[in-house]
Amino acid sequence: MDLLDLIDAVQSLADGVLFGATYALLGIGFTLVFGVMHKINLSYAAASIGAAYASLLLLAVVKAPPALVFLVSAASGGVIGTLVYLIGFRFIPLANPLATLMSTVGLLLLIDEIIVHTTQGVPLNYPALFSDVIFRAGPFNLRGDLMFVFVLGCLCMVLLLALLYRTRLGLATRAVSQQPVAAELCGISITGVNVLTFTITGILGGVAGAMIGAAIGMLSPLLSLPLTVKGLIVTVIGGLGSIPGAIIAGLLVGGLENLLQFFRGVSERDLYIMLLLFAFLVFRPGGLFAPAAGRD
Amino acid sequence: MDFYLGLAQIIGVHTLLGLSAYCVLLTGQISLAQAGFFAIGAYVAGMLTVLGGWPIIPALAVAALVAGGAACAVGFPALRVTGLMLVVATTAFGEAVRLFFFNFNYQLERGGFKLGPHGGEGFRQIRYFPEHGWSTLDVMLFIWLFVVLVMAALWWMDRSRAGAVLRAVGEDELAAQSSGINVTAVKVSAMTVGGLIAGLGGGLFAHYTTHIEHVQFGVVLATFAVAYPILGGLSNVFGTLLAVIFIQGFLIEGLRFMGDWRNLLFGALIVLAMNVRPRGLIDAGTVAALKRIFNWERAGA
Repeated sequence: MDLLDLIDAVQSLADGVLFGATYALLGIGFTLVFGVMHKINLSYAAASIGAAYASLLLLAVVKAPPALVFLVSAASGGVIGTLVYLIGFRFIPLANPLATLMSTVGLLLLIDEIIVHTTQGVPLNYPALFSDVIFRAGPFNLRGDLMFVFVLGCLCMVLLLALLYRTRLGLATRAVSQQPVAAELCGISITGVNVLTFTITGILGGVAGAMIGAAIGMLSPLLSLPLTVKGLIVTVIGGLGSIPGAIIAGLLVGGLENLLQFFRGVSERDLYIMLLLFAFLVFRPGGLFAPAAGRD
Repeated sequence: MDFYLGLAQIIGVHTLLGLSAYCVLLTGQISLAQAGFFAIGAYVAGMLTVLGGWPIIPALAVAALVAGGAACAVGFPALRVTGLMLVVATTAFGEAVRLFFFNFNYQLERGGFKLGPHGGEGFRQIRYFPEHGWSTLDVMLFIWLFVVLVMAALWWMDRSRAGAVLRAVGEDELAAQSSGINVTAVKVSAMTVGGLIAGLGGGLFAHYTTHIEHVQFGVVLATFAVAYPILGGLSNVFGTLLAVIFIQGFLIEGLRFMGDWRNLLFGALIVLAMNVRPRGLIDAGTVAALKRIFNWERAGA
């Protein structure tokens, strides 16, 4: 491999890591819900795309600046997250993990179909911020829109960590995830914490959806299934319930994916990611930052 | 009439797919790899009849064995993890199989045409049934023969010691282990049996559709495979059959008159069904009620 190839490889790795911030946000969403409820919410990625679509409704009515579109996407993500909890979790007995798994699959299909139904399945353009800015560092270019997505993703993660570790709400959330019964005895409402978790993850999902739209430049309902799979992969590689793990794993998967695409082409790229995940599950089932090996 | 025969074929093949997930679910594990085993069965059976010129029954048998072997090989590492981790591990395996066939190119010259799997374009011209003059009815009966055989075998297994062992592992792994059951062996056997059934279903699927491609075997099909037994309930094999008829017959074909709205209703009805009947359409309570009615009638007569 000569120098030019090397530069291209590093460039695609860097682009991938920047885009990986969106995977990290999705992974955090899966991991938070799992940490608090020990349940998996398969409709999460679809809800994130749905929130980004909802923010486009605003653009259809008035000519809003892209920053406002991002905010609306986050807000509608929060609303959708709460709805997902009410429809798919609230009235289903928690002792039965299969039932909530199935209900979130139903919600995944439902959200996808609502999108297809309202847009006739046509991909829509999404506004990007700083798309005309390009940072030059030696032979490398860093795209402004990807940089923005990365910075925004990091900002969200910092805010989330501050919320979890510096506020009473976060204390309650962590208490429920560690010992639901003891938390309830201390007067914490489990339902309240669950609703809150779904709202917060929904807001994160809304931001992630908007970031994906901005980074790719368009939105399509076809995105939701691959993103669900990627989000799950990030969750598992990072270790279930581990937020720092999800962040690192998200950036790692984003970078590796782009690097493999550069070397092996787009059709084989995901094959290697799947094999990597499988290897992780066999040799290190607890993930990168697992608290203890072999926990469910 | 052909429409209903075709629908019966679809229901038959999907019942096999659902039953393959049912075996694994009995041990309390959720496997999303069933679409992968289904794909392996479909490609192997198709290649044997088209490229190898084999008759259908040995081709199906080999397809089932290969898929079962793959399931056994995957089962050992994958079943070290449980719950959500297994869902993700098996999803990864299923997707890896699909992506393998997406990149799989193996074509041979047969009768002036290049036949065989051709990457993203898929595998065309699996024409065993039309070439041998089977009518739609014949194909439908052939598929249902296997469905009845598999259902009878599973029904019998449920009543035997093996079924009790499977359910014991599914209900409480720790209790099963302390009563001397080798939990890993039980799970891997259930996975292998599931793989065999999925491979058989895949082989039949390849032959009645005559054209298979990788997109048919994605996460959606895998989700359907586990959706049937979960929606139908795990108390016996008829739950799966009922759920397949409900989804394929009613939700997909029966609601066709609603056009675009059908797809919207599809997800909503699954959510509703899980809210109203979290243990499946036919749960233990339903079975008990049916038994009561049946016994009462017999006592009255």
